[in-house]
Amino acid sequence: MSLSTNTGSVGTPLLPPKGVSARVLGGIAEDATLSAPGVFLIILAFILPIGQMLLLSIEGASGGLTTEHFTRFLGDSYYLGIVWRTLRLSLLITVIAAVIGFPLAYVMAHVGPRLRLWLIILVILPLMTSVVVRTFGWMVLLGRGGLIPFTLWKLGLVNRNFTLMQTESAIVIGMVQVLLPFMTLSVLGVVMKIDRRLEEAARTMGASFTATLRTVVLPLAMPGIVAGSLLVFTLSVSSFITPSLLGGVRLPVVAGSIYEAATKTLEWNFAAAQSVILLVGVFLVLLPYLKLTGRRHG
Amino acid sequence: MTSTASPDASPAVSLAGIEKTFGRTKVLHGISLDIPKGTFLSLLGPSGCGKTTLLRIVAGLESATVGQVTIAGRDVTQLPPEDRDIAMMFQSYALMPHMNVRENVRFPLRMRRRGSRDAQEARVAAALETVQLGHLAERMPRQLSGGQQQRVALARAIVSDPAVLLLDEPLSNLDARLREDMQVELIELHRRLGLTTIFVTHDQEEALSLSDHVVLMNAGRIEEQGPPLAIYEAAGSRFAASFIGSANVIPVAVETVGGATMAQLPDGSRLAVEAPVAQGANHLALRQEDLMLGPDDTARSEARSFAAVVETRVFLGARVRYVLKVGDLSLKALAEPGRLYQAGDRVIVTIPPGKARLVA
Repeated sequence: MSLSTNTGSVGTPLLPPKGVSARVLGGIAEDATLSAPGVFLIILAFILPIGQMLLLSIEGASGGLTTEHFTRFLGDSYYLGIVWRTLRLSLLITVIAAVIGFPLAYVMAHVGPRLRLWLIILVILPLMTSVVVRTFGWMVLLGRGGLIPFTLWKLGLVNRNFTLMQTESAIVIGMVQVLLPFMTLSVLGVVMKIDRRLEEAARTMGASFTATLRTVVLPLAMPGIVAGSLLVFTLSVSSFITPSLLGGVRLPVVAGSIYEAATKTLEWNFAAAQSVILLVGVFLVLLPYLKLTGRRHG
Repeated sequence: MTSTASPDASPAVSLAGIEKTFGRTKVLHGISLDIPKGTFLSLLGPSGCGKTTLLRIVAGLESATVGQVTIAGRDVTQLPPEDRDIAMMFQSYALMPHMNVRENVRFPLRMRRRGSRDAQEARVAAALETVQLGHLAERMPRQLSGGQQQRVALARAIVSDPAVLLLDEPLSNLDARLREDMQVELIELHRRLGLTTIFVTHDQEEALSLSDHVVLMNAGRIEEQGPPLAIYEAAGSRFAASFIGSANVIPVAVETVGGATMAQLPDGSRLAVEAPVAQGANHLALRQEDLMLGPDDTARSEARSFAAVVETRVFLGARVRYVLKVGDLSLKALAEPGRLYQAGDRVIVTIPPGKARLVA
């Protein structure tokens, strides 16, 4: 092995043969042609709408530029409360998804291939049903007299009128169910690649099963947990159907507030400003994460 | 052993009637072995013979279906690996990729809570000095060469001073030269530290050169065991003869002519064989280096020589390997490159006294 790397460059002449630069240019043209459809699609579907949204957010009522939409949002404690709830719930959802997703992914990585396939199907099953159907399912389970409150009441833990509907708990439960596959599959991909000998080696060196998980598997699974967290966080920050159906009108989140402004009160500029604020807020939360992964891969 | 035996005389590792079944396949058929303290023991055998499974049972990474494992006088059959006083070195080294060299070597001490942090660091430094890697303590494993990773794994294995050191083909990923260096280092390390060592290998040369005691395994059973020289000189079975010293094993007809035992080769020529002959021994074992080749006009010594034709010649440097034809039979011979024969040459093969042995 070491021999082949040493002799690898011997055959390469010092001067490039004629025509190389033409070939390189040809290669660049080829690359550009191949990537053109993708680049075009990205510009059309992402860059343009985001640019338009940015413009819309600073457009005054009578034309001209203004920051009034931003000051209106940021100066109102009602809207700030919405932002705070959105970030808080999204973080909670992300943490819960990681706490459930990591052990689940570990088990999935260690069972036989056939059982693993069934577990993967089971995990992504929630994604295969419509969000509305799934959420109504939760409404039945969580509402007054529903399975969960009824069971808790029978156990003597709550009173008869107890309901989980219209609570932040309902939002978190519903969201974790939908977003768990993103976390689990992200972690699974990384855990599958961890050499099983490392765990065995740790055991022979005196580490118990839990100590092995803590000192070997968890650190090595970190890139997967980070990637899963990014997915779960961004998806939960921007979702509004599940929060609005399970949380109701008294527990609005930013995405729901944007929806209101855009479709009900028809304040497009205000909706755009909220979208920009959400975008910046997500970016600020994700920045340390991105740095973390950048360091790991770099 | 007896109840009066002092603890010092008790074996470091004792295996009693170990059987292992995977699904419907039985891979170990009742292995019993006592390994005295300080022994360097090799488990030698072809792949699939169960040697690695046996090692993993000692480590606790597999559980024995039947049988008992005792380490340092303590029955550990039901204990998980972390509660056994062992260290294991893996074929792939299994260094933790997210820890640097020092953290890797300190890992067993940290997990076993041996001494203060300072005391641990001192032992790590000493272990790294032992394998001459003190200057690389802050490197990450991926920044090291294969040979250096190997040394880190070795340092990590000896740092906790285990009751038994388990080595699972640790040299098979190294190139030939590094492997020879590592073999010498393993021998010296073992002499210096006196650690009881179980070494799994499929390389008979490695087993013979490193160990005090060789256990030859085949198909889940112990085929033969003993000191390297005894195993090499007096392999008693066909399998042992062909695996150790890669001897030619030839089916022969055994006959006694005037007090001397003769083996009749398939082409009709006869060779005198060594007494005593084990019951039912009907195969002749001829080691490759014991076939002395001479030109066609060599004086043939009675009952020690036979004629053959060179089929292939492979130049190996220090030696030359020939494939010879005796009738339909193919024989391999390792010869000094003094005189070279061509394919098709007729040669006279002479077997020195004491080298033609019958095996069962």
